[in-house]
Amino acid sequence: MTALSRAAQVLALPVLLVLAWWFATANSTSFYWPPLSEILGSVHGTWFEGRLTTDVLPSLGRLLAGYAVAVVLGVGLGVLAGSSRTFRAIAEPPLEFLRAIPPPVLVPILILLAGVGDQMKILVIATGCLWPILLNTIEGVRAVDPVLRDAAAAYRLSLPTRVRTVILRGASPQIAAGCRQALSIGLILMVISEMFAATNGLGFTTIQFQRSFAIPEMWSGIILLGVIGVLLALVFRLVEGWLLGWYHALRAAERKG
Amino acid sequence: MTRWGWTLRASAAAVIAAAALAGCGAGGGGGEVQQNEAGLDEVSVGVIPILDVAPIYLGQEQGFFEDQEIELELETGQGGAAIVPGVESGQFQFGFSNNTSLLLAKEQGLDVQIVAAGNSSNGEVGSDFGAVVVPKGSDIKEPADLAGARVAVNTLNNIGSTTINKVVRDDGGDPTAIDYVELGFPDMPAAVAQGQVDAAWVVEPFVSIATGQGATPIMSNFAETDPELMVASYFTSGATAEANPELVERFTTAMNESLEYAEENPNEVRRIVQSYTELDAATAEQVALPAWPTEINTDSLDLLADLAVEDGAMEEKPDIEAMLP
Repeated sequence: MTALSRAAQVLALPVLLVLAWWFATANSTSFYWPPLSEILGSVHGTWFEGRLTTDVLPSLGRLLAGYAVAVVLGVGLGVLAGSSRTFRAIAEPPLEFLRAIPPPVLVPILILLAGVGDQMKILVIATGCLWPILLNTIEGVRAVDPVLRDAAAAYRLSLPTRVRTVILRGASPQIAAGCRQALSIGLILMVISEMFAATNGLGFTTIQFQRSFAIPEMWSGIILLGVIGVLLALVFRLVEGWLLGWYHALRAAERKG
Repeated sequence: MTRWGWTLRASAAAVIAAAALAGCGAGGGGGEVQQNEAGLDEVSVGVIPILDVAPIYLGQEQGFFEDQEIELELETGQGGAAIVPGVESGQFQFGFSNNTSLLLAKEQGLDVQIVAAGNSSNGEVGSDFGAVVVPKGSDIKEPADLAGARVAVNTLNNIGSTTINKVVRDDGGDPTAIDYVELGFPDMPAAVAQGQVDAAWVVEPFVSIATGQGATPIMSNFAETDPELMVASYFTSGATAEANPELVERFTTAMNESLEYAEENPNEVRRIVQSYTELDAATAEQVALPAWPTEINTDSLDLLADLAVEDGAMEEKPDIEAMLP
């Protein structure tokens, strides 16, 4: 009962939406709203005959690289800023300033700094993903129980051990929340970064289809982006469940009282 | 049970929303034209805020459109790819786009109809309004040298790259060895100066800006493709043309007057361009102007279509005859 009804619950809305789209556009003669059947018919030829390796994989590679840079920088700086009041006081104004700048407007400057290749695109993704991770890490680190910190210090645990077992552990639920927010930002910036100085990529190709009036192919790219978003979120949940299993178990136990 | 019920209700709401959305999309088409209080037809035109469209701004100012009982509303779009859907949906009655984009749209099955010439090469190699520039001291001296170089264009597989490829081919170079990247025109002068790209295709005022920073023009891709190359056109949708044939005729008349006026009054062009772009007076004084003949140059459309097919930008030539008034 549970598995089946859960699957039905998860799939009901998507299936209904696809059906609605299918029937609403079935007889469409509108150039920009082709029938869904036509869009789905173009998926295979558009993406699975070469473009998967020449466009989709490079895009995902850049996304993961930018995301990884953001996670490392965000968590690293976040632990520093969260642990030290002085560092926070000094770093806060410039961080707020940088956070307020939307990464797309930085692209022309990043081109001058990093050229027109992959580095520029990875930088664009990283500069956007950094903020939710950084800010959530700072808050998470600040919220770590001071008694725990003091106890760890009293037991003379080495600094790396304290950071790993007390600070990162304690802040990990919030770090994970920041990472989840960053994931969707990363996907958006992956597409935006490919609007400039690109020669390949999923976003790039989709925009090229739009510009060359290949509308069913453009829709297929949009759908593929959405599917990739769903898959990334799914993978994220699996990884998070594995890393934060202890936390979710703790919460569940607390709720039971 | 409650959660299940909620899912159902949410699904139903979403289905209705999706259907409504799809319904909106399927409609459109254009055709209806509003009239203002004075009895003039309200006509929106999608234009790109660049030098090329100076005539329509001049024509509006000179009253050529009012004489034809048209109240002109100029709306700026980012480029042809954004203006074409606007014209197709009836949001704009007319639009301005480069001819390769229009040919691509036609080839893909969009019913675009050219109603007036846009702008054309001025035919002067070395001082046309579009050029490929290289950094000072570059090894690239002539078109054939572009083979193997990284060249910036504003849109891949469009009028920039197909005309460059033709000139390179004519010069004995291999255009398939050119590595094109997309950059916005405003970003190109800096990218050239910094050496991020080996060359860039720019149009005015960016030719003047780039050469002002030390870049050297190595080809005038429009003039060298054809000294009378018609680069862009004003167009409408098949639906609008069918529903309002005499409006199209009046628009064409006013547009042709505007083109003639611009052609005869270059100083007026240099003045008005400062009113709808950020161009300063000094640059506006020195930019190379395109030519604005009124004749729709069918040979140019034919040539651009051939070049696009040759480069693989389109699969086969569209029916050009069907795009003409």
